[in-house]
Amino acid sequence: MPKLTIDGKSVEVREGAFVLEAARKAGVDIPTLCHHEAVEPWGGCRLCMVDVTFDHWDGWYKCVAACLYPVAEGLIVKTRTERVMNVRKVVLDLLLARSPETPLIQKLAAEHGIKQTSFVPNDEPTDCILCGLCTRICDHLGISAISAVDRGIGREIAPPFHEPPPDCIGCLACAEICPTDHIKYKTNDFTREIWGKSFEMLRCSRCGKAHITVAQADFFAGRNGVPRSYFELCDECKRKEHADLFARLGGSP
Amino acid sequence: MRTEGIARFEALKEEAQARVAARKREILVCCGTGCRARGALELADRFADEVTKRGLEASVGLYTKRVGCHGCCEQGPLVIVSPDDVLYAKVRKAHVSKILDAVVAGEVVEKLLYKDPDSGERIAHVADIPFYKYQTKYVLRNVGKIDPTDIHDALAHGAYQGVVKALFEMTPEEVIEEVRISGLRGRGGAGFATARKWAACRKAEGSPKYVLCNGDEGDPGAFEDASLMEGDPHAVLEGMIIGAYAVGSSEGYIYVRDEYPVAVKHLQRAIDQARELGLLGEDILGSGVSFDIRISRGGGAFVCGESSALMRSIEGKVGEPRAKYVHATDRGLWDRPTVLNNVETWATIGKLIVEGGATFASMGTEKSKGTKAFTLVGKVKNTGLIELPMGTTLRHIVFDIGGGMPKGRSFKAVQTGGPSGGCVPADLLDAPVDYEVLTEAGSMMGSGGMIVMDDRTCMVNVARYFLNFLIEESCGKCVPCREGLKQMQLMYDDILEGRADPDILDRIEALSAGMKVGSLCDLGRSAPNPVLSTLRHFRAEYEAHIQEHRCPAGVCRELTAFEILDNCDGCHLCVPACPTSAISGKPKTLHTLDQDLCISCGACFDVCPTGAIRHFPKRELKERNAHAETDH
Amino acid sequence: MAEQSPCTDMAPVDDILSSYPREEASLIQVLQDVQRVYNYLPCEALTRVSEVLGVPLAKVFSVSTFYKAFSIEPQGKVTVKVCMGTACHIRGAPQLVDELSRTLGIAPGETTPDLEFTLKTVNCVGACAMAPVMIVGETYHGNAMPAKVSSYLGKKGVTDEN
Repeated sequence: MPKLTIDGKSVEVREGAFVLEAARKAGVDIPTLCHHEAVEPWGGCRLCMVDVTFDHWDGWYKCVAACLYPVAEGLIVKTRTERVMNVRKVVLDLLLARSPETPLIQKLAAEHGIKQTSFVPNDEPTDCILCGLCTRICDHLGISAISAVDRGIGREIAPPFHEPPPDCIGCLACAEICPTDHIKYKTNDFTREIWGKSFEMLRCSRCGKAHITVAQADFFAGRNGVPRSYFELCDECKRKEHADLFARLGGSP
Repeated sequence: MRTEGIARFEALKEEAQARVAARKREILVCCGTGCRARGALELADRFADEVTKRGLEASVGLYTKRVGCHGCCEQGPLVIVSPDDVLYAKVRKAHVSKILDAVVAGEVVEKLLYKDPDSGERIAHVADIPFYKYQTKYVLRNVGKIDPTDIHDALAHGAYQGVVKALFEMTPEEVIEEVRISGLRGRGGAGFATARKWAACRKAEGSPKYVLCNGDEGDPGAFEDASLMEGDPHAVLEGMIIGAYAVGSSEGYIYVRDEYPVAVKHLQRAIDQARELGLLGEDILGSGVSFDIRISRGGGAFVCGESSALMRSIEGKVGEPRAKYVHATDRGLWDRPTVLNNVETWATIGKLIVEGGATFASMGTEKSKGTKAFTLVGKVKNTGLIELPMGTTLRHIVFDIGGGMPKGRSFKAVQTGGPSGGCVPADLLDAPVDYEVLTEAGSMMGSGGMIVMDDRTCMVNVARYFLNFLIEESCGKCVPCREGLKQMQLMYDDILEGRADPDILDRIEALSAGMKVGSLCDLGRSAPNPVLSTLRHFRAEYEAHIQEHRCPAGVCRELTAFEILDNCDGCHLCVPACPTSAISGKPKTLHTLDQDLCISCGACFDVCPTGAIRHFPKRELKERNAHAETDH
Repeated sequence: MAEQSPCTDMAPVDDILSSYPREEASLIQVLQDVQRVYNYLPCEALTRVSEVLGVPLAKVFSVSTFYKAFSIEPQGKVTVKVCMGTACHIRGAPQLVDELSRTLGIAPGETTPDLEFTLKTVNCVGACAMAPVMIVGETYHGNAMPAKVSSYLGKKGVTDEN
């Protein structure tokens, strides 16, 4: 288990871990935006930059993204050097220019001493900070309904042809993982609407509440070999059914 | 196996030499992209037709050949008569007959020879022409000599000799050692020690291992990789075969940018021909070593010159770079051990193995060994493709080889390293060209493009040009590059349009620092280089724009106006040059410029032979108009 | 998104797909061939490519919009390209672009309403000695001058010399 030092604190962590995990274990806070435990680290927001060195580097430091830098025995990490703090400020200043009306960005920027962006604010403010979490979770789930389109400053998250995405199953993972609540959706017991696409809800055969879309049930049944009937009950009713079953088997009154 | 393999190769070489034995003389018509754009293909056809019509192949052993870039592009279309070493410049179809007459008679056509732009002297032999005589050809050894679409011609000129030596007389470790002795550093720009990269890949665990060629040459102004891929594709293949042997790879890709269709064509043909002769593919020459190459075309993205983005592109994905904390030699293409080298690096290897690394190391400087190919372009008399030992000074390149500044203008800077590089000013002209020296000067070696700039170049405009370029090419994955470039461009708009705040340079420097440290890849990390280098060497020019709303070079249209002076003699040259017909006047009389139609492009100023047009700050014009109104 | 006429003939797409391995790595090469045949990437073609190569449609769309070699909108009959390389820039490429914009009535990246011309700025084409360079269709015009732009557009099959 490699042992490393973070801001003077010694910490041991599993082989193959990244610096961010070691920092959290050591109780050192490094801000992130594009990081989430559910998906592989991506290194796009550049907020988690830290300065690293080894004894044999003779005082030369490298500024790297903590979420992707592999831990190593003897690694020395500094999370609040002047240049690290400057980079974080520049990143948040730039994001505040892009998304001046987004509470999460306003809060993070304020925590770094930025109340107002020093750059030219976006004349079409958006909550989307292009952290990529939505597309990454969608890929991770094997759906890949949406993706990053175009490149550079024109980059945006969109379904193919900017039309309702044929592959979307309405699972809402993208909306739930989005750190700024940018992805909007409507849902009730009968229909769900997201990315301009409408879904029929699958209602629990016991309690009548809708818990997932028909498309979701079909997708997971098809992929995992789970019988489609598995999705006819919502989780709560499934538990109740199991409880009833155990009660019957146990012969309780 | 060894003797058989060598014998097989010798037989191929003999056959190749036999094919060219009948050639006493060759007419080598340059068909590089520059000359093509001036009709070189039609010219080559005309030569071929004439030679056939006159039966010259049979009667005097005179052949014609389409070859790669001859280098002196400014004077194209170029034709060299070999082995006489006679160069004809600006050749047109109408000249073909005369040239052939002269060649057959053992004479030269005086008025078609290369004309020195300074002395006006006609020089017949390549070896006497200043542009050529100071050069040392190593990597460009066969460009302009061989027909790149004929492997036999390449073999007759020594191609694949290095493969034979490596595969049959050396171990992979010995090959790497020879490269280490040579001191060869990556010619794509970063200058990483090639032997170290190969050694790391050899050691790495994982299979298959890949050997890649970076033919993305995205730096605008650089075309030496294009010239190699088009003019001597076999040198590239040869290097890759040797490299594959050294690291233990059997699969290779050449990634060629989409904008180079001729390179793709010539490389594919070279690959097909090499396979036919057993020089590529399964069991090369019976050595037991198998290696094959496929071409992967780019889709039009400068960022795909970055190694991790290039690999994603080969994988069929978008060209988004990723963190390189784990080296590509451990996990690269499809997460397998991969060696990626530039076209020029690969093309050097064959000769390096044959002659030995020490010969290469005997040229150049202490840390930058060997020679380097450059493309000298922009405001210089002799633009073109050159090759020189490292350590040559910029002054020698621009003035002795390049012939100095055209139209009597003065030198201002030479830009190297493309959008990741910087501008080197006049007081650093005696700097030797070397990886470390250029980096210290605030620029970098880059792939070899050298763009000469004169006093009619605005350095603020140049920095802005590179920002515009990078904004189009940023992949958009990371915040500092994507958002930073946009904000930087807005700040430059303010400067160029005369509305910048006094603290703008501080803000530019702060943003630059953030981008340099925070960006994910070298596109973003080096994006501030043109900005920082022009700020460092030409700060006064920035200050003129910011404080005086004046562009000293007379380039920035929002800040510059033009007018015709009294000494105009009516030569009328400015009238057709003006795109908006803003100038009027009868020939031989004083001309006038209509300010309402003038778009401040400066075409008239550049064409006026008597200095009768001047540029001045536009605000003076506005002040003049304001006074004129109040006077009324 | 621009109107696309429904492109019913998928035969060329199937032809192209059959000549490459059915894997993600073939995607960019396949799209280049499709672009060459149709002069843009029709959405039906992209859907077919996605099915056959087994690449999610969203990723095919990403790749189609990331790389500048591709266009998802129909292009003009003739593409006019102005090289924006550094040598061309300092020898007057911006003036060429302005003049072309003015003459054709469109901005770079756009196509004339009659679908005759598409105007594009492109990266260095490697003919730096003849800067500034513009290309009309397949014809290169070196040392191009803004005042001669109309003649370059008119004459499509002639090089500037010979």
